[in-house]
Amino acid sequence: MELTAARPRKMWGVTDHPSMNLYVPMVAIIDDIVDETPDTKTFRLRFEDEEYARSFSWEPGQFVEVTVFGAGEAPIGFASNPLEKSFFELTVVDRGKVTRAMHKLSIGDKVGVRGPLGNCWPLDEVRGRDLVIISGGCGLAPLRPAILKVLEDRESYNDLCLLYGARTPADRNFKYDLELWSKRQDMRLLETVDVPDDTWNRNVGVVTTLFEKVELDVSNAVVFTCGPPIMIKFATISLLKMGFAEDRIVMSLERYMKCGVGKCGHCCVNHVYVCTEGPVFTYKDLLALPEASL
Amino acid sequence: MIDLPTTCGFCSCGCALYVEPVGNRIAALCPSTNHPVSTGRLCIKGWNATPSVTGENRLRTPLVRKGDKLEPASWEEAISITSTKLRQISSKSGPHSIGVIGSAKTTNEECYSLAKLARGVIGTPNIDSACRFYDASLIPALLETTRVPASQIDINSIASAGSILIVGSNVMDQLAHVGSRIQDAVENGCKVVAVDSRVSRLAPQASMFLNSRPGTDLAWLRVLIRTIIDRQLYADEVPEMRGFEELRNSVGDAELKKLVDECGITGEAIVEAAEALAKNKPVVVMFGLGVLQQPESTRIVKALADVAILLGGSVMPLRGQNNAQGASDLGLAHDLLPGYMSLLDAGARSKWEQMWKCVLPSEPGMDAARMVRACGSGEIEALLIFGENVALSAPNTDQAVAALDKVEFLAVADMYLTQTAELADVVFPACSFLEKDGTFTNIERRVQRVRKVMEPIGESRSDLSIIGALASALGASLSDDPAEVMAEIAGSVASYENVSYGSLDQSWGDQWPMEGAETRLAPIPAAESREEPDYPMRLIASRINFHQQTGTVASRSAVLAREYPNTFAEMSSADAEKLRLRPGNPVRISSKSGSLTRRLVLSDSVMAGCVHVPFFFGGDSPNVLASGECDPVSGVPVYKACAVRVEAVK
Amino acid sequence: MNVGDTLVLKKSDVTMFFASIAHDMRLVAPKRRFGGDVIFDVVESPKEIAWDYGHDVYPPKRFLLPHYEDMFRYQANGDVRIEDLGEAPKQAIVGIRSCDVMAIRFQEKFFASQIVDPYYKARSDNTVLFSLVCNKPPKKECFCICCDSGPYLDAGFDVEMTDLGDEYLYRIGSEKGLKATEPGAFMLEPAKPEAFAQRKRIELQADSLFRTEAYFAKAIMFISTNDVPDKVWEELGSTCFRCAACTNLCPVCTCYTVDDRPEGEGAFVRCRSWDSCQFAGFTREASDHNPRPTFGSRVQRRFYHKASYQYIMRDGTHGCVGCGRCVSACLTKLDVPSVLKRIRRSMPEYLEPRKTPAGEV
Repeated sequence: MELTAARPRKMWGVTDHPSMNLYVPMVAIIDDIVDETPDTKTFRLRFEDEEYARSFSWEPGQFVEVTVFGAGEAPIGFASNPLEKSFFELTVVDRGKVTRAMHKLSIGDKVGVRGPLGNCWPLDEVRGRDLVIISGGCGLAPLRPAILKVLEDRESYNDLCLLYGARTPADRNFKYDLELWSKRQDMRLLETVDVPDDTWNRNVGVVTTLFEKVELDVSNAVVFTCGPPIMIKFATISLLKMGFAEDRIVMSLERYMKCGVGKCGHCCVNHVYVCTEGPVFTYKDLLALPEASL
Repeated sequence: MIDLPTTCGFCSCGCALYVEPVGNRIAALCPSTNHPVSTGRLCIKGWNATPSVTGENRLRTPLVRKGDKLEPASWEEAISITSTKLRQISSKSGPHSIGVIGSAKTTNEECYSLAKLARGVIGTPNIDSACRFYDASLIPALLETTRVPASQIDINSIASAGSILIVGSNVMDQLAHVGSRIQDAVENGCKVVAVDSRVSRLAPQASMFLNSRPGTDLAWLRVLIRTIIDRQLYADEVPEMRGFEELRNSVGDAELKKLVDECGITGEAIVEAAEALAKNKPVVVMFGLGVLQQPESTRIVKALADVAILLGGSVMPLRGQNNAQGASDLGLAHDLLPGYMSLLDAGARSKWEQMWKCVLPSEPGMDAARMVRACGSGEIEALLIFGENVALSAPNTDQAVAALDKVEFLAVADMYLTQTAELADVVFPACSFLEKDGTFTNIERRVQRVRKVMEPIGESRSDLSIIGALASALGASLSDDPAEVMAEIAGSVASYENVSYGSLDQSWGDQWPMEGAETRLAPIPAAESREEPDYPMRLIASRINFHQQTGTVASRSAVLAREYPNTFAEMSSADAEKLRLRPGNPVRISSKSGSLTRRLVLSDSVMAGCVHVPFFFGGDSPNVLASGECDPVSGVPVYKACAVRVEAVK
Repeated sequence: MNVGDTLVLKKSDVTMFFASIAHDMRLVAPKRRFGGDVIFDVVESPKEIAWDYGHDVYPPKRFLLPHYEDMFRYQANGDVRIEDLGEAPKQAIVGIRSCDVMAIRFQEKFFASQIVDPYYKARSDNTVLFSLVCNKPPKKECFCICCDSGPYLDAGFDVEMTDLGDEYLYRIGSEKGLKATEPGAFMLEPAKPEAFAQRKRIELQADSLFRTEAYFAKAIMFISTNDVPDKVWEELGSTCFRCAACTNLCPVCTCYTVDDRPEGEGAFVRCRSWDSCQFAGFTREASDHNPRPTFGSRVQRRFYHKASYQYIMRDGTHGCVGCGRCVSACLTKLDVPSVLKRIRRSMPEYLEPRKTPAGEV
C-alpha cells in the first residue's frame, strides 16, 4: 500500500467558509493560556459565533492563520483533541512579530482565526498498523492531536510509540500530557534531553539516540515526525537505514506563510504549496521536490 | 489616476517615478520609461517609496516638551515657543550661540531658504548640512582640482567609459543605476579597477579587484600617482598643468615595494591598474563613502581627482542622498555661500548681504560636527535640525546624544519621531517628498522637479513652510512658495540661472553647466599612520541597501525591513579563532569612544585584522565607535577604519 | 451579432464607439504622460487613448491585481468590527496587447484554481478586454512569438481589434465581449473579404518581424530536471540588484505579501501588495532559516516557476507571455530571453543523448 499524505474532509475556502470572504477571519476568544516552556504558550480558543463553533471541525495536522489584531497574521497548527468541540488549542512559540504580540495577550482577548487550512496526518490510512511518533521541542504540538485522536480510538491502531526530545527538561512541551502518557499501558513513551538538570533521570542525547532503545516493526510501522529540521534529517537517515520505506515516513513541513490558501506564493516548495498541499508530506513526496532539501 | 512624475527621494540617482495616491495612501507606483536615468527601471528603494507616506507613526502634529514628555501641540504654539527661545538666547548670548543643521534630503528651495533663515534672519554663522557627516570632503578637494564640486559626467556616459577606477563604493547595493551602467560598460569592454576594504558584490564583476586594508587609500593612491608620473602614463597636456611639479615632488617618497605591507595591495597590482587605466580611455574615477569617511578624506579625494586629471578623465563622486548635491550647491555650509562662493571673498559677501539684507561673517562658523560638540560644551545654546537623524549620524554617539540632550533648546523637523527628535524640545512634523513641490539636484548635477502628489499627512508641512513660519515669527518674510524661491535662486546663483518651473514642465531637467575653470593638480603629501595598541583591529563599516542612511524611512517598509531583519558583525574564521569567538554569539566591538554589541557571523570575505559592521541597523550604529576625530580640511568626521577591539560578551 | 463575428469599426468612429461603451464602465487604456511615457490608466475620454504606444512599463495587471490593494479594515477595541474594502469597478481595458490578454487569462485561471480568490474574481468578472493586434513589434524587446501569446490571438480574447489602416477589424471572442459591444454595435459593419485577407497578410508579416531567439525548448527540460548546476544560477544571480522589477512588471506574476497598516484609533487595514520571490525575505522564516538564502537560488526559483514542466502541468502553460517588460526593466541581464538562452546553451549534455530511466542510452 503506497501511503500518501491525506486530504482532510474540511478545508477553508474549498468548502464553505462563513466569513465575508476567505481572507477575513472569524473572531475567537482566548479562554485560557498555559505556559509550556519559557518561550511557548498554549492558547485555548473558542469562536465567538456559537453556531460556527458547533459546526467547526478539523483534523490533526491542519493549521489556522491567526490574526493578532494590530500585528498581523501567522500560521499556527492545531494542538488539541479534534473531537473536542467546545474549544481548540494552539501552541505558539514567541519568535516573530505576530507571535510576540500574541504572547502579550490575556484571557478574554480576541483574535481572528481563518481555517482549518492545509492537509492532515493520514490517520485513517494507518489503522491496524504500528504508529511511531518522533518529535522534538515544539514539534510535538502538531502531533498531539494525532496522538489524542488515536488514544480515543485505541483499538483501531496497533502499537503506539512516542519518542520525544527537548533541549532541556524545562523545554519539554505538554509536560502534563507526557506525565499521563508515561503511565499508560497502551503506548510506549521514551523521552530524552540534550542538557539534563538535577531532576532528570532519563535518557540524555538527541532523539535518534532513542532508536536503539526501542524495537520497531519496520514492515508494519508508519512514522509521523515533526520538529527541528536537523532532527528530522537525522531521524530520517536512521529510519531509512533501519529499512523503513520512503512512503512510511510522514512529516510536517514548515515554511513562511502569508495567505494560507495557496495564492501568495511564499510557502512554495518547487511547484507545491505547503499551505494547501501540505504541510503534511511523506518523505517520498518530498524526494521529488529538490527545494525541500532533505 | 496617475498624473505627472516626481523625483525619487532616496538616493542621488534621481530617478523619475509616477505615483498614484488614493486618499492618504499610495495605490500604485512605477518608473518613468523615458527619463534619462530611470529608463524604465527603479531600485528596491524606489519601488518601495511608499513608507515615506504610509510608514507607521508618521508625525501628524507638532510636539512640544512638557516636563518629561513630548505632547501634541498646535503649530502656533510650536512656532511661538521656538521663536521666543531663539530670540531669548540670541539677545542673551548672541546669535552665534544658535546653530542650524540642514538636510541633504530636502529640496533645493528648502536648503536655500534654510541658509537664508540662518544667516539672514537669525544672523548666525553656524549653518551646515548633514553632508558634513557623509561626503562634504569632496567639496574643498574638487574645488581645488577639477573645479567642479560634483560629477563631471552624466550617468549614461558611464556605459561608454574605457576604464573605471572605483574606490570605497559598493554600487551593487547603492546607486543601482550607476552599478547597472558599470555592468553595461564592462560588456562594452571597459576595464573596471575596483578597490575596497570589503569584498562586496561588485568585486567579482571588476576586471581587477584590490582588497585594501581599511584606512590605507591615501598610501596606495600616492603610489599610483607616482607610477603614472614615473611611467609617463599621463595625458599629453598634463606636464603643462598647474601643480604638476609640486604633485610629482609630493609623491616622491611613495614606494611600490612598501605597498603590500602597508595596504595589502602588491606593487604589481598597482602597476597593472595604472596601465589598465591609462591605456583604456576615457577614464572615470568614482569614489564613495569608503573614501569620504576615511581619515584624511579631503586629501584622498584630491589624490583621486589628480589621478583623473593625469589620465585626462572625469570624476564622479558617488554621493548617497537624493539632494546632497543641492544642499552643497545652495550654501548649506558653514564656510560657503550659495554657488560655492567663499565667505572669505568680500565681493561674494557683499552680494549676499544685499540679497539677504544682513551682515555676513568673514570667517566660517561651526560645522555640523562641531555644533553637536558645542551643544555639550554650552557654546551652542539652541540648535535647529531639519531632516537629519543627527543622534545616529554624528560620530561618537554616546557623547553626541548627551550633547543633544543637554543643549538648552533643540527643535527638530522630521517625518518620524527619530532618536534625535526624541531628545527635542519642539518637534515639527515634516512631510515627505511626495507631499510637496520643489526640486532636487541629482548626482549628475541635473536639477529635477519634485511634484506634490498628495496632501501632507495630518498636520505635517513641507520644510519650506516650516522655515517660512519661523521666519515670520522672527519678524522676517521668507517665501514658502517653491516656484518663487527657485526664481530667486535662479536670479542669484549662476549655475542655476536656467532653472525655472516653466522649463521643468517641458523637460526632465538639465545638468547645471560646469564653468570650464582651469583644472589644477594638488600635491599629495603622505599622512601619518597611527597605531593604537589597545585597539588592534580595524572597522569596516558598510551600508545595507535596504536601510537608506539611518533607516528612518526605509525601515518602515515591511519589504525593506524584511530583507535584513537581524544585525550582525562579520569577521574571518581565522581571526575569530585567534580571539576565541564563536559564531552566533554576541561580541562586543569597542573603540576609544564607545562600544557596540552584535551577533558574530564568520565570513572569509573579511580580511585579517578587520571586523565588518553594517550601518544603521534598527537604531544602533557603528558611529558609536567613531571618536569624533575629523578631517582637518573639511571637518568630516572619521567613521571608517576606526581602531577597535573585539571580545566575547560574557 | 454573435460570439465569433468579425466586423469593422472605422477609425473615425473610434472615439464615439468607446464613449458609448463607457456609458456604464470606466475606460482603462494606454495614456501619454510626461516626456513620452505611456502608462495604462483610467482615461476620461477615448481621445486620450494612445493607440500607437511602444513601451508601457506598468502592466495593466494592476487593474485586476492592484499594486497595493486594501482588503478589509478591522477595529478591535472590545468588539471586533470588520469592513470589506474590496472594489470591483466595471472597466474596459482598451488597447491591451495579446501578450497581456494571455497573462490575464493565466492569472484568472490561477486565482480561480482550487480556492477562489474573491478579490481577483470580482475584478475580473467586471473587466472586459478590448485587445489590439500588434502588426509589428511595438518595441524591440517583445518576444510573444516564442510564448505563443501573440502578436495576435486565435482565442481567449473578449474583443480583438486589428489595425487595417482606415479601420479596425473587430472580432468578438466571448460573451463578455459581445455584451460590452452592444451599446456601440450600430457603428460596426460586417467585415468584407478584403478585410479578412488583409488580416491574414498582417498575421504573416507580424510572425516574421518578432524576435525568435527567446524560445523555451530545452531550457524547460534542464530546469524541470534540476540539472542546471548551482554555479550557473549563482553566476546569474551575482549581478542581480534585487530590485524585483522583473516580478513587479511581469504581467503573469501573482505573488503578494499582506500587511496590516495602522490607520489610527485602533483601526487597521489589511492590505496586500506585490511581492517577489527575488527578495531574501520572501521565504525567510521567523527562526531566521531561509530556504532560498542565495541570489542564485532565487533566480532559479523564478525560472522554475516560469519554465518548469511541473508548473506547466499545473497552469496549462509556461509562466511567460513574451511581453518584454523584464528585458527593459532589469538593471542587469536577468530577463527571460537572456537567461533562457544561457540555460539552453550552457549545458554540456545538450549534445549527448540522455539516458532513459532504465539506464539505457
